[in-house]
Amino acid sequence: MKKRLLVAGAAVMAMMAASMTANAEPTEVTLWHYFDASADKEAIVEWVDEYNSIQDDIHITSTYVSRTELMNQYTVGALSGELPDIGMVDSPDMASYISLGVFEDITDQLEEWGELDQFYPGPLTSCKDPDGRIYGLPQNTNCLALACNMDLLEAAGYDHMPASLDEFKEMVAATTNPDDGVYGFAMCCISTEEGTFQLLPWLRSASGGEGVNVDNLTAESAVNGLTVLGDFVSNGYMSKECVNWTQSDAFNQFAAGKAAFAEVGTWHLAMTDAINGAFNYDFCLLPTGDEGTSTSTIGGENFGVCSGAADVDACVDFLEWMCSKEKEAEWAVVAGKIPTRQDSEAEYTYETDGFDVFVEEMNYAQARGPHAEWPSISEAIYTAAQSVFVDGTAPADALAAAMEKITPIVEETPLP
Amino acid sequence: MKKTTGKKEATRNRVKCVIAVVLAVLFLFPVYWMIQISFKSDAETFGKILSYYPREFTFEPWLVNLQDKTFLLSLRNSFINGFLTMGITLLLGVPAAYGMGRYRVRGSSVFLLAFLVSQMLPASLTLTPMYLIFNKIHFLGTHFTAPVAIAAAAIPFAIITLRPYFKSIPIALDEAARLDGCGSFRAFLSVMLPAVKTGIVTIVVISFLNGWNDLVYSMTFNVGETMRPLTANIYKFQNAYGTKWNCIMAYGTILVLPVILLFVFLQKYIVGGLVAGAVKD
Amino acid sequence: MKKSLSMSARKTREAYCFILPAFVYILFVLGYPLLYNVYLSLRDVDVKNLTKGGDVFIGLKNYADLFGNATFRLVLKNTFVFTIACLVFQFTIGFALALFFYQKFSLSGPVRGLLLVSYMIPMSVTGLLGKNIFSNAGLVNNLLSKIGIIGPEWLVNTSTAMIAVIIMNCWVGIPFNMLLLISGLTNISPDVYESASIDGANWIQRFAHITVPLMKGSMLSVLMLGFIYTFRAFDLMYIMTAGGPLNSTDVLGTYSYMLSFTQYKFSMGSAVAMVLFACLFVVGLFYLRLLVKEEED
Repeated sequence: MKKRLLVAGAAVMAMMAASMTANAEPTEVTLWHYFDASADKEAIVEWVDEYNSIQDDIHITSTYVSRTELMNQYTVGALSGELPDIGMVDSPDMASYISLGVFEDITDQLEEWGELDQFYPGPLTSCKDPDGRIYGLPQNTNCLALACNMDLLEAAGYDHMPASLDEFKEMVAATTNPDDGVYGFAMCCISTEEGTFQLLPWLRSASGGEGVNVDNLTAESAVNGLTVLGDFVSNGYMSKECVNWTQSDAFNQFAAGKAAFAEVGTWHLAMTDAINGAFNYDFCLLPTGDEGTSTSTIGGENFGVCSGAADVDACVDFLEWMCSKEKEAEWAVVAGKIPTRQDSEAEYTYETDGFDVFVEEMNYAQARGPHAEWPSISEAIYTAAQSVFVDGTAPADALAAAMEKITPIVEETPLP
Repeated sequence: MKKTTGKKEATRNRVKCVIAVVLAVLFLFPVYWMIQISFKSDAETFGKILSYYPREFTFEPWLVNLQDKTFLLSLRNSFINGFLTMGITLLLGVPAAYGMGRYRVRGSSVFLLAFLVSQMLPASLTLTPMYLIFNKIHFLGTHFTAPVAIAAAAIPFAIITLRPYFKSIPIALDEAARLDGCGSFRAFLSVMLPAVKTGIVTIVVISFLNGWNDLVYSMTFNVGETMRPLTANIYKFQNAYGTKWNCIMAYGTILVLPVILLFVFLQKYIVGGLVAGAVKD
Repeated sequence: MKKSLSMSARKTREAYCFILPAFVYILFVLGYPLLYNVYLSLRDVDVKNLTKGGDVFIGLKNYADLFGNATFRLVLKNTFVFTIACLVFQFTIGFALALFFYQKFSLSGPVRGLLLVSYMIPMSVTGLLGKNIFSNAGLVNNLLSKIGIIGPEWLVNTSTAMIAVIIMNCWVGIPFNMLLLISGLTNISPDVYESASIDGANWIQRFAHITVPLMKGSMLSVLMLGFIYTFRAFDLMYIMTAGGPLNSTDVLGTYSYMLSFTQYKFSMGSAVAMVLFACLFVVGLFYLRLLVKEEED
């Protein structure tokens, strides 16, 4: 039986091969990505195989290239023209690469597609240049929320999660326990884009008024947000080592029970097995301001068609398939992300309550930029925070110094 | 070889051995540290108590690394990088060091300056223009690309370190070779090279390591799994795990192990070669 | 007379046959990058005009801007502090070890080989190891606590992060110096020492009057190479501290890379790289003068 099936299979294969050679060769398209978590790095391979099998005109070859490597490739590729056909990019970096000419304008093709209005505006703007032309599609999105160690909260006498910044301050102080090596709070303030990503919610905090954007960081609410974090460090509620921690490091601290609260990303929901039942945990909106308000940052990855791609239409076809209603929902579940389209309904099979929190948090999340010089703005922001944490600079002074760098940049090209 | 006779000499030997062992322990402790973390469980690495050895021994971090499908390919690529860099460096660097050490030529200080300068260019300066020029001559994405760039710094290094060796060879050796009827090139191969054996061994070691340890050139000039050496995977692990120390340290150990093994097998020639040099009479 | 002339012409030709292949190779691989950077550093190329064009020649403005920038001055200072501290420690300790392991005793060969292990570890791994052992609750502070010292938060304070980075670099640099210096020592003929011991010279005299003068060439080249390699350091800081906290471990290599590849300020990045190069070039000229003088003696 098995043998006969094999023979039949071989015959079908041979026929397919014959028909392939009879028809024109499929268009070869190369795709570079930096998915490296166990779930998404396998999923992208499966997806590409699936796409290759459902149609005969286009053949995609995907290659993993680490994020650092890929960013170097875009920079040197902008000059030499040596680029893949389709490339993945972190959303805040996209504007710089559009400006560098790495990506192809695919506005016309996407408008013809007619599904652009289904995409959430936040993620989609990160694919646009200042004139509103579109260079790619947001493939997934995420934001930041608060992870809480419920056992430690209970031990400190609380039965609920923080709802406002004031309550959060109180709880962080109460859960800190130096004897056990437990800090109240863990977040990432490293001197890279990751640090800025996690700092922004606190700077845009809406305590006592409107939250502000990065072109107005000397506003009282921003100073207040940074003051709270600075006090956490100086009081020993948050480890000073946060200035060297990546987001994974901060999450690892939480998962090891060494921090009562941590600022975590949506994708961490796919990694909660690291906690391994050691304690009860829950998630809530980031308590960055008054009760009933929250702020967060939009993250996520885009895929664009690179300049010089041999067959732009073929690349766009794949992007449209990958960011279709069904595929967006599927990816969100596999990789622990949120769909970028409002018509996609992700049916999460794990941490369902957690995902609900993050989906709600998306309403309060803001995009970074897009701005071609975002990396310079970002540097000003994490430097301000580090000077408060490390050198004890007054938050108002640190943010004033940051604005000295940011103002000329946004005066030349304003933020959207 | 002298036979140690006096009791005093035996004691002195023993004292020196003890000092040597203490030094080795001191120097290798961080390496031990790396290895022992690689056998710790996740819980233990993040534990509140710092232990000096794995209390619950596990191979998990090693498996995470070794199960990576491209591991063997990366291993091969790292060896290719090492050996090609070594080959290019020896082929071009050693003759040049000889030429500069044994001959008085006009403009030799210009050459020396050029070789010195070429080591001074930081990678951030050379990376983009090298990429552009290699792209123009269709030389990207080959196994030779990164070694050619790495050797550009390894060759001057070889010249500068070997030149004094060639210089210190007594003139008598040249004359002896000439009397034997050797041509200059044969004299170089059969008389001069053996005379500077220790220096050559040093260059072999260092140029191999230059290639093996390279990160930035391999990362920029070659994309894709078939070309990536072990060093380039470091970002993969850093991105995916954060500082999940056990996995990172297992990776570090894996990265160092082949080199150490290579050295153990070739010790006769490498460390042994140095010793032979030290006791030559 | 005629014969000697043709002899020397032939010798010159021979010498060129040995030297030129390497020279041409270097010129080909590195000549263009150097010119390219000089050109780039005199223009205003950044994220907005790299491919779209419209960049202009601005002369030395990038350099003027750099020296007016407090961060750059800090980075320049860091680079010198790092280089000089590393050179002092790795050279003196490396030399001491070279003298020790140069002696003949049962374990001198194998242990000498073992010490090289830290040199064989790629800098990126060394950086990670440094990050681990210098963390607040890491190995170093644990050892210090055993002798009753409360260690600092090494990688978090601007005053101590550089010390940690220097220690890690020396850990790699010491065996490297030792290796090169031992090879230099082996080139001193043992006869010289033997005749000296017959003359009744003690080890200090032997060191000062035989070893040092005979080693001058190797010592000079080891120091020079050490300077070059340390001055253009990159991987270690990039991985261990990312130049932080607050640029306290940022050196010219990392700063230039960050400007070019993270902030896309290409001309500024090139200008920083050119400053790095210029510093090394001056030191290189100095070395060359010493070398020529020594060889004329």
